[in-house]
Amino acid sequence: MASKTSFSSEVANLLHAAEGSPLQTCIQCGTCSGSCPVVKYMDQTPRRIIGMINAGMKDDVLKTNTFWYCASCYQCTVRCPSGIDIAEAMYALKRYTMWKSQYKEGLIGPTFSETFVKTIVRSGRSYEPLLAPTYIFSYGIREFFSEALNATNLMLKGRIPILPPRIKRLENFKRMIAHIIPIGGTE
Amino acid sequence: MNQNKQLLMIDDDPDFVEGIKSILDSAGYSVDVTYNPKDGLQALKEKTYDLLLLDIMMGRGAEGIMIARKLRKDPKLREMPLLIITGIREQMAFLFPGEPVHPRFVAVDELVEKPVDPKLLLEKVSALISLSEARKSKAG
Repeated sequence: MASKTSFSSEVANLLHAAEGSPLQTCIQCGTCSGSCPVVKYMDQTPRRIIGMINAGMKDDVLKTNTFWYCASCYQCTVRCPSGIDIAEAMYALKRYTMWKSQYKEGLIGPTFSETFVKTIVRSGRSYEPLLAPTYIFSYGIREFFSEALNATNLMLKGRIPILPPRIKRLENFKRMIAHIIPIGGTE
Repeated sequence: MNQNKQLLMIDDDPDFVEGIKSILDSAGYSVDVTYNPKDGLQALKEKTYDLLLLDIMMGRGAEGIMIARKLRKDPKLREMPLLIITGIREQMAFLFPGEPVHPRFVAVDELVEKPVDPKLLLEKVSALISLSEARKSKAG
């Protein structure tokens, strides 16, 4: 075998179908970090993450929470002067850690995404009361109660359904899913 | 006997590729590797292979399935045997815990799940190649 692929080319392989320029074209201008609305919650800024990927610092990149805190607002992607699809790169890192189960302990993102996809696959709709437990326990007591109060009020006004909603023709939808993901279905 | 057999492997996990490749190399196959579906399809166009080893979860999602479907529609590549090696059940376990991968979701020749037993892998590879050769000689 010629040489083992580096971390940066592993990420590039995950992005092979993305529209943007390769991460190597990053000029480290910091526009992404400057535009990011959630950057203050991240361990490392997006600019630094791209630099670290290009430098092949796999373990350090996987240790950060940056890509899980990405709000997917695409501000960085739109503004990047090199045309890198940064938001897509964040998704690629999410997939990378999910597929290899290498994500950091104590993150809300992975459990939240899993629960979300599960509810969608089962009923075709998202259902907030099932999603809430994935993050609500990380709140302080005051926030917990205000969130619970909000949810109760919304429910009383009929804005949150009491029973999980279902789409019509759920069986068709499930067959479509089974066509894409070849497990658990009935193809 | 295996010396002139050309295999192509499309998988994005370099560690896994290294392992499988060393098994196949020691059995005398010559193995080309591509790490993403795009390069993989390109390689298939440029060269004729005796067997394709394919991963499912790559790139944006289940792209291996897209390749498999594409190959089955291609009049020339349809004849090539295909061995799908996948860890999809592990990767999607949260969605359908404990449920099997359906074996014939696309008309593949064989499907094995990661982790792969070396003996089983070599058995399947040689069986698939000889099967396709038998098919070819019958047609010819």
